[in-house]
This record gives sequence, structure tokens and C-alpha cells, in this order.
Amino acid sequence: MRRSSSIARTSRRYLRSLLLPYLMLGMVATLSLVGPAIAGLSAQAQLGRQIFFDPALSASGRLACSSCHSPTQAYGPPDGAAVQLGGLARDRQGSRAVPSLRYVLNRTPVWSKPFIASSTERLLEGEEPPAGGFGWDGRFNTLEAQAAFSLLAPNEMANKGPEDVVRKLRLAPYANEFRRVFGEAIFTQPQQAFARAREALAHFELEDPSFHPYSSRYDDYLEGRATLTAPERRGVALFEDPRGGNCAACHPDRKGADGSHPLFTDFQFEALGVPRNPEIAANAKPGYYDEGLCGPLRTDQAGQMSECGLFKTPGLRNVATRRVFFHNGRFHTLKEALQFYVRRDTHPAQWYPSAGGIVDKFDDLPRERRGNVDVTDAPLTRTAGQEPLWNDAQIDDVIAFLETLTDRDVRPAAR
Amino acid sequence: MLAAVWACTSTLACARTAAEAVTTQAARIRHVFIIVLENKNYADTFETSTQDPYLRQTLVPMGALLTQYYGTGHVSLDNYISLISGQAPTKDTADDCLPGLIGSVGNFNDVAQTGWAAQGQVVATGGCIYSTRVKTLVDQMQQVGLTWRGYMEDMGNDPARERATCGHPPIGVGTDLTNTAEAPSSAVPLGDAYATRHNPFVYFHSIIDAKSCDSQVVNLSHLPADLAQARTTPNLVFITPNLCNDGHDGAGTGAAGTTCANGQPGGLTSSDAFLKTWVPRILASPAYRQDGLLIVTFDESSFVTPSVSRNPTTGQTTVTVTYPGQTCCHQQPGPNLAGVRPSTMTVVNTPSVVTNLVMQDFGGDRIGAVLVSPFIVPGSTSATPYNHYSLLRSLEDIFRIDGHLGFAADDPSTGYILDSIGSDAAIFQHRAH
Repeated sequence: MRRSSSIARTSRRYLRSLLLPYLMLGMVATLSLVGPAIAGLSAQAQLGRQIFFDPALSASGRLACSSCHSPTQAYGPPDGAAVQLGGLARDRQGSRAVPSLRYVLNRTPVWSKPFIASSTERLLEGEEPPAGGFGWDGRFNTLEAQAAFSLLAPNEMANKGPEDVVRKLRLAPYANEFRRVFGEAIFTQPQQAFARAREALAHFELEDPSFHPYSSRYDDYLEGRATLTAPERRGVALFEDPRGGNCAACHPDRKGADGSHPLFTDFQFEALGVPRNPEIAANAKPGYYDEGLCGPLRTDQAGQMSECGLFKTPGLRNVATRRVFFHNGRFHTLKEALQFYVRRDTHPAQWYPSAGGIVDKFDDLPRERRGNVDVTDAPLTRTAGQEPLWNDAQIDDVIAFLETLTDRDVRPAAR
Repeated sequence: MLAAVWACTSTLACARTAAEAVTTQAARIRHVFIIVLENKNYADTFETSTQDPYLRQTLVPMGALLTQYYGTGHVSLDNYISLISGQAPTKDTADDCLPGLIGSVGNFNDVAQTGWAAQGQVVATGGCIYSTRVKTLVDQMQQVGLTWRGYMEDMGNDPARERATCGHPPIGVGTDLTNTAEAPSSAVPLGDAYATRHNPFVYFHSIIDAKSCDSQVVNLSHLPADLAQARTTPNLVFITPNLCNDGHDGAGTGAAGTTCANGQPGGLTSSDAFLKTWVPRILASPAYRQDGLLIVTFDESSFVTPSVSRNPTTGQTTVTVTYPGQTCCHQQPGPNLAGVRPSTMTVVNTPSVVTNLVMQDFGGDRIGAVLVSPFIVPGSTSATPYNHYSLLRSLEDIFRIDGHLGFAADDPSTGYILDSIGSDAAIFQHRAH
């Protein structure tokens, strides 16, 4: 009896946690825990959706995938915390700012750094930049691998191992559905069950229309259903100008050859030299540096010194609703993030610590890696004392443009 | 009559007539299959590499090896353009139309033509896409009722990146997304390693402005169906593998950090695998068996001479990489290369290292070519010098087109005379009399 009551309570809690985001999205009519198939979604995807919103799959019982990747914030962070909290007591900081999952997942290429065979072409035209992979450092080539990390990381969902996750899945209200989809004996094979659960998550993330609604005003503009205001038009011009903002070089903003709408990322890696963020407790330790591609989270590129400090370019859709910017969440307003781009080199003391009149520029990287920071692509080419590329009014214009990238269902993150 | 018109246009020179141009059994050829690979020098490909056993040990004995075949320039695009049009480079096509290099226009922009020079050469301040007044081999072929198709591997794999037919970037807008190979993703499971700069056809308005471009510049996947019957096989089949299979990307070893975007080894290893897949299909086709010629060559050589020196006072290391840029066949630089070739460019300049790139001359260095045909003497070789202009001339002759384009034409006033491969008695069977 007690067990039944417990399961009933658990089920009600599940139901609430599952319903909440859909109630907010006005999608409750489509939700069913173990009901009939939802049009367009595979059985795996429907299971994956339940797993995605299930906080009981974490050690704390309070952290679902959706806790950090909030559906009302374009599957980005729900608030302005530089990094989200996880772990058994939800008191351990994550490593990096939470990226939005919207739009990019099915288009993210596996991580690669193509090698150009001709040494002269490498010299003349440049080496191919690394690109792709999931996460800020691109270390996951599949959504399944990324999910395994979050489910098991001690500072995220903090399960002790795959068996721990599967034990929780067996108790989930959708356990019978899990068996129906993956076989009656699936829970007797924990490694298989763990793999299938992650596959289900991937199906949900790739199939569910909520990951790619294309409902922003900019999408309407691209289809000729809306016009841009004067500030927005000025903003897009500043954004695109190759000798100015040059933003579109990494955040393409035009339709694809097939008319598809832009994702605002080329998935390539870049070192911007974002200042160290004291909000991240790990940064209090001298000698600790998050160097992106070359570690410490990623290990397979550890010997590639030229890749230290590089992080993957994020998409900019819904960027105006975020409260946390760049890989370390150093900035909390879009205006500050844009100011950093245009004043990083002209006013370095605004961003980096100084001692004896000397600015410790690019202070979130070891000194010997600071040469990797981009100082050759506009707008990152100016020097101290020069005028910034954009004034405040121009930054406001760019923000006006970026606000057109907000989907209709997305709400600003909490402060 | 049409041929006479061709012979009198501004980009053509009148010379030897088509009827007398081909003096061997090559005159019977009516279907030509060209596969262009990337960036390998002759010694690597045909003497030392162990990565291309199919090319060296199967195709070479089966056909003819042109040991003195040269590329016409560095880097890629100018070679492809010379091969189908006889045009020497502009400042931009000499550097793959990449923005921010030495070219004046960059990206996928129209050639900024200011006039004409001898042998129908376009004089231009820069740019990449030639006007409709500049003709190509395929324009010539169409005029005499011959058919052609360009088969581009991977083109359109990512339809957001480029169209699956006649794929090229929007003219004058933004970056050419095909400059970098795209690795596989959920949406593009095969990845996309099509490179516009290896597809010569889309650099001519005479081709891309025509609706027929969509039916004539297509993905390689169309080739098997086209090979099924002789009547469905174009007279000219021009094949560009993707960036991995043409050897542009990857070292060919498979070692970590040296692969293509899709994880394949690339280099001659992937090129050889590509040839091993596609060449048997071509050789088995009715069109080839009836009257075919297969040509496998490269765009340019990758041969360089590196040198390293260190300044003991400053500790600065200077690395100098030198391309010989050798030419053959009395190749002319054309009217647009002043200050561009030869040249020395400092591409890296830091307190610790300086890297210089030296282009000693304007050619593409020695690459070699393999020809296979029922009309070729198996295992033969020819040391006659040829280059991409020679190949263009040879194709014009084989297809009995009166008139030659650009530098494929002789210029008796300067003594510029090209050999035509179809008349090379060292490799082709003698004509029956």
C-alpha cells in the first residue's frame, strides 16, 4: 500500500512537472504520458520528451534536462545565473553557461578540423578552423553522448552510473511505455536501457517542432510577411558589414540556397578572450583555466596548443531573451556583450583587471595561450585609444535587430 | 558555318583546321571522361606514394602516362578555368576567389573586365565570374551538337549550402560557404564537401545564366544512369570528386588530426578509392567501350621547397616555402598577373616566427596525367610537354571544333604553338589508312 501511494504521489509529481512547460506553451492538449502517438513524433521521441522533463532522473530529484534547458527560454537557461546548479543537493555549479538547444541540434556537424593536404594552401588560404560537435567545446559528436555526460556529471544530474539512471527509469510512470518501445526485458540490461533512454532523448530533441519553430519576426521578414523598423534595418546593416561588425561572418543571417532560414552560427570555433568570471567558483583557484577545445573538460585536443581558448560559436536566435552570455556567463545583458566586442581592444581596462597601469588582457587564459585570441577579424582589430567601432546608439540598433530573432513563444529569462 | 562563326569571335583564334588536327586513332573518340584530382606533384603520385596503387599499378599499365603534364597555376581555380576556357587567371581566380587575399574583388563576384588582350585573354582588375562574351569548351560543343555534363560529388548534399544543380554562392553576396568542407550532421548525414572553386562551369555567365545549367551541372549520383547507354552518356563527362576524394583534404594516412571533415583519410588514399569505385563503371559503359577516352589528372602540383632559418640575435625563426611555379609549353602568364605571380608574401609575422610564401613563377608545376582508351597503346608513355591549355586544345581537336579558345590557340606571331594530345603517336594507335 505504501508503495502504491508513493508511486501515485510520484506520478502526480511527474504529471505536474511534465505538464508545466506544456501548459506554458499552450500545448497541453497534445500531452499524454503513455497515450496514443502524437502526430509527427516517433514513439522514441515521445518517450524522450518524458525523460527530458523528468526531474526524478537526477540525484537531487529536482533537476531535469528542462531545468537548465527551459522550453520557455528557447531551451536555454531559465535565469541569469552564469552557470546553473546541480549535484545531489543542487548546490554545485555547472562548468559553463547553458546554451540554447533550439534550432542547432539537427544541424550541428560532428566535430572536425579538416586537414588541407597542401602546405602552401594551408599557408596561403589558412588552415581549416575546427567546427561542430555538441557543447561549447564540441566534445560530443552525438546527442546521446552529450546526454550521458549530463546524466552522470557530479555537478549536473549526478547519477552514480548508468545503473542508477535505469533504476530510476524502472520507477518512472512511463516505464511500461519504455518496455513497450524497447522490449519487455529492456530493464534487465542496464547498459542497453541507458543507451535507449539517450536515444529517446535525441529523438525528442531532433523531432519535436518546439526545437525549431521559426516564429520570430525576422522569419516573417525573410518571408515578406513583416518589415523591419528603421533601427532594425540599421542594426542588420551594422551586423553584416564585413568591414564593420562583421558579425554575419560567424553568425550567418541570410537565407540558405534552398530558402531555409539562417541559424546564426557557422558552428566554427573562435577565441574571443572573454574576461574571467568571478561568479564561477572554480575561477578563484589560481592556475585554473577553462580553455575550451584544449581542456580541461575536453581531453582529446589537449596537445593542440593553437586551439586553447577556442569555443564554439553559438546561434543567436532568441539571444535577446538571455541573461547570460559567452561560455563563462561573464555578461548578463546583451548590451554589455556587444560593448565587449567593440570596446575590448579600444578600452581594455573596462574589461580586464589592471595592476600598475598594466591591463591583464585576456586574463581568462594562461599567458602563453593569449596569442590564440582573435585580433585579426573585424571588429577585433582595433587598439587601445582608438574609437570603438560602434557608439551606444549603434549598439542599440544592433540590439533592435537581434530582438527580431525572438520566437513568439519565448519569454525573457528571469534576472 | 557555325564553326566559321566561332573562328571569328574575339575570344577565338583561327589556326589549324579540325579535320587535320588529330592524326591518330584518337580521331575516333566521341566520349571523353575527365576526372580532376587535387594538389599532388608528379613524383609523389607516380613514383613514391604508396597511397595510390590502383592509379599506379592498374590504370597506368592499362593506358598511357603523360609524364610531362603541367598545371597552369596555383592555387586551384585558375587551373580549372584554364582547362575549359583557355583564360589565364585574374588576380582573384589566382587565389580561389577567397576574400582578403591578394585579389581585388574576392568572393563570388563578376570579373571586372577592362578590355581584351591577345589570344582572347580577358583583361581585368579582378573578379571571378566571366561575362557571356567569354566562351568555354562546352559552349563550343553545344554549337556543334555535342553534349556535356559536369558531375560534382556532394553538390547539394546540404541544400541550405548550395543547390544540387548548378550550385554556386549568390553572386556578390557574402562568403562562399563551400570554401570549407561540412562534416556530417543529423540533417546532412553525408556531410557536404563540394567546393565551388573546383567546379569550373559556374564561373561563366555563358553557363550559369542558361536554364540548362540545372540539367548539365549535376551531382555525381546522376552518372550511373547516364552511363547505362551510349546515347544517354554525354560526349564530355567532367567529374569533380568532393574535397576528400579529390585529395585536397586529408594526408591519406588516417592519422588523427590529418583527416577530412568526414573522418576519411583523404589524400591519394581517398582519391585512389574514388578511382577504384568510379573508373570501372566508366570503363564498363557502352559509350566508353564504343569510342571513349578517360583522362585522370590533377589541378596543380603541391611540390614546394621549404627552408628554415633562425636569427640568433632576435630568436625569430623564418620559414620560407617556395613554389617553383614551373610551366611548360611556352605558357604565357596572361595580362592580369603583374604583382601577383611571381611574388613573395609574408603570411605570418610574429615576434617569434615569420612565414614567407614564394611563388617563383606563374605555372602550376608538373602533375602528370593518365589516359585510358580503347585507342591507346596500353602501358605507353609520352614525354611530350602538355598542360591544361594543351588539354583544352586536344579536346577541341578531338571533338572536331574549328577554332581554339584563349591560350589553347596558337599564336604564330610569338611562336606559341601547343601540341595536341590526340596526335601523340607515342600513346595512341596509328590511324588506319
